[in-house]
Amino acid sequence: MRRERREQLQTGLMLAPSVLLLALFILLPLCVVFAYSFALRDPYGAVLPGFTLDNYRELVQGVYLRVLMNSFSLAAWTTGLCLLIGYPVAYFIAFKAGRAAPALLLLLLIPFWINFLIRISAWVVLLGRGGLINKALVFSGVIDEPIGMLGTVGATLVGMVYAFLPMAVFPIYAALTPIDRRLMEAGADLGAGPAETFARVTLPLSLPGVLAAALFVFVPSMGVFAIPVLLGGGKDIILGNLIVQLFLEFRNIPVGAAVSILLLGFSGLGILLYMRALRRVEAMK
Amino acid sequence: MTHRLSLGLAASTLALLSAVPALAEDLRIYGWAGEMPDEVLADFEAETGIDVTFDTFDSNESMIAKLDAGGSGYDLVNPSQYAVQILINRGKLVELDHSKIETYDKIGPTFQNVSYDPGNKYSIPYVWGTTGLAYNKTCVDAPITSWKSLFDEKYKGRIYMLDNMLAAYIAGLQVNGFSANTSDPAEIEKATETLIAQKPLLAGYNSTNFADLVSSGEACIVQSWSSSVLQAIVDNPDVVYVLPEEGGTMWIDGYSILTDAPNPDAAYKFLSYILRPEVAAKTTELTKTATVVPDSMPLLPAEIGENPAVFPDEATIANADFILDLGDAMKFYQDGWTKVKAAP
Amino acid sequence: MTPHSGRQGWFVRRVVHGISGWVTLLTYLFMLLPIVVLIAFAFNAGKSTVVWTGFSFKWFEKVVSNRNILDALQVSLIVALASAAVSTAIGSVAAVAITRRSFPGRDVLGAALAAPLVLPEIVLGVALLVFMSFAGMILGYTTLIIGHVLVSIPFATLIVRAAASSLDPRLENAAADLGANEWQTFRMVTLPQLMPAIFTAFILSATLSFDNLVMSTFTSGVGTTTLPLRIYSMLKLGITPEINALGALMVLANVTILLLVMGRYLPLMLKTNRR
Repeated sequence: MRRERREQLQTGLMLAPSVLLLALFILLPLCVVFAYSFALRDPYGAVLPGFTLDNYRELVQGVYLRVLMNSFSLAAWTTGLCLLIGYPVAYFIAFKAGRAAPALLLLLLIPFWINFLIRISAWVVLLGRGGLINKALVFSGVIDEPIGMLGTVGATLVGMVYAFLPMAVFPIYAALTPIDRRLMEAGADLGAGPAETFARVTLPLSLPGVLAAALFVFVPSMGVFAIPVLLGGGKDIILGNLIVQLFLEFRNIPVGAAVSILLLGFSGLGILLYMRALRRVEAMK
Repeated sequence: MTHRLSLGLAASTLALLSAVPALAEDLRIYGWAGEMPDEVLADFEAETGIDVTFDTFDSNESMIAKLDAGGSGYDLVNPSQYAVQILINRGKLVELDHSKIETYDKIGPTFQNVSYDPGNKYSIPYVWGTTGLAYNKTCVDAPITSWKSLFDEKYKGRIYMLDNMLAAYIAGLQVNGFSANTSDPAEIEKATETLIAQKPLLAGYNSTNFADLVSSGEACIVQSWSSSVLQAIVDNPDVVYVLPEEGGTMWIDGYSILTDAPNPDAAYKFLSYILRPEVAAKTTELTKTATVVPDSMPLLPAEIGENPAVFPDEATIANADFILDLGDAMKFYQDGWTKVKAAP
Repeated sequence: MTPHSGRQGWFVRRVVHGISGWVTLLTYLFMLLPIVVLIAFAFNAGKSTVVWTGFSFKWFEKVVSNRNILDALQVSLIVALASAAVSTAIGSVAAVAITRRSFPGRDVLGAALAAPLVLPEIVLGVALLVFMSFAGMILGYTTLIIGHVLVSIPFATLIVRAAASSLDPRLENAAADLGANEWQTFRMVTLPQLMPAIFTAFILSATLSFDNLVMSTFTSGVGTTTLPLRIYSMLKLGITPEINALGALMVLANVTILLLVMGRYLPLMLKTNRR
């Protein structure tokens, strides 16, 4: 009995710092934002106490709907591309790279050791009219005149995939490595074709990793703002820009808070879908 | 044990960091990146023994958000004209005691009484410039003189606008013949339509590296703040900055003392220092932005003192508006700008 | 092995691995090309980051004598180390508790600790600024470190959790059988096995903090301009090879740290994961 009490106390002490941190600096701030999303403001941006649904009403205007669509399609494209590229890479590292696997994983992280903005500005230089890519294309005769790549959706996607690809490779790799090769061979021995083995053994077993990858790429891409501005020209405003604009440029904290709550709702939805899909995948096993 | 050790370590690091020694006198300034040379700060430190911390911001908006959060700990802040108005309204600035600024009379007569802060009660103008456009000679056939070029089909995909609501509306309003400071909803609406129609022509909105973009030829024409492109003009003779014939606008970045400034005395000393003609000349020479001290002009090298991009002539300036905070009318601008940004 | 499976093997080797091999090759080119170009232009004699005019070290000299960059670097290092220490410490303790103890709300806490990973950082940053001003906190090192801890704690917790859950309980039981008390078992058996994971968590947390821009925008205060914030304002004044030189130095520093320290822990870490 005493031992049990002591253990409870110990557990409590071990949990105290993290619980405190979460409650004080995540839960409380989010509550404040939630409360502000119903508040009023004066023309100079001070938040006034009060209760109104106008901030949310403003969001259902057509203007904001477009912003939402832009964000969603950017995040979906990024996620799709990252999975499409990330899966083969993770597959190769897990099954084919052998001893080079740790080195390959580390190489994938190299870009992260250089500041994010420097990385993006490297792409600004590469994709520019005078940049290496245009020079190579003109030199090889593929095109006659340098083409404008900056300020296009393509440039944004290049930057997005560049930033988020490792987030996709790692979870898929982690899900692939424990798959027993013997299972794959067993599938083959039972007469399954290679495509069938892949489709019925490897892919289903790695699905939890794919789902995690989708979540890790999709949710942060919904809130991104620097990449579309620096590479894509910032013409298709997305939720991230909208929040920056509302909080900083317009000093409209209540509406900014409402958009934040909306974005949180989307993240929550993403997590919920992920959990459900995960449960279904696990039930399949 | 390791956990406790690292926790203890972290705690003592925090304790150490918050216990700033109060021995030397400190001055904390929050200012624009690139408008106050390090040399001027170092000279001031050497002369007065005051230790200066200079943090930078990249837009008035992010600076206001930071100060709005309260307890910023800065003594001096460096807002542009409309930001001065907002900060006054938010009760962030103290009324200045001009007698404590020994060099106050060095400020040029046109800057002694500015419209956004009559009598310079809350702010001391320091550097100024204009909002106009910059272009690359290699990709236009004739010199550009008007905002209209930003709306010209010829340059489709090679135009960048400043990613800033107030700046974008300067072009949108003036190209229609309206004042850049209008509060008339109909005029703002018209400008919004103009900006939406312009969008398919744009390569993008950019207020970060637009000088690089025009210098490298990626962009042909960019809307621009004068101070940001001056370095590009020095490095690349193909880059030209013009104040458009419709007027363009003028901006002033001044200094104000915050109400919760820990060391206002040092702040006054700093203001007295930077308004000295030789210090103002140094500022202009190193940052290529014009200062408000006319006595500094003779001390400048000719390529800066006589450079129309740095010092436009009187007639041009007379034509340029100041961008001010328009209080309630801001709502029309914000709604319009959101529409522009969300348009295809 | 039947001949049948041999043919299968050929297919998998040639086609499936073939595709994955090519994709991997192209992906690594894509990931590393910008870095190679970036580092190359750090040695450019001219002012351009596009046109090569000659070889020079001058941008390195310039960057290491730039007071603003050095100050910002110092701030970033302090914040990275302090926030990584705090987040690794809190995260590890919580991870051990979650995997080893049963208590009500265990799953909720586990999920909550991973929450910042899927909360858009900008929302969290804004929320923190709003809350901190509401609570009257002065912006500075403390607020900056708290912000960065929130960004890195999900990673720290997840890494240590993965390691703790894959520990072999038989080892601890054996230690207990040999007469070691609970604390001794933890210190002599459990902790050494967790060290590689804890170390990895620390390195990753420090890296994330060092690279952070969004959270720093909202939580930095007087004298605490971090390196990414400084670089952001440098971009505005034009991209020169000085920024490339800074990037090259960062890669160099990281490779050195990695070779020196990680070389020792990495094999261990991967072994634990493989099991």
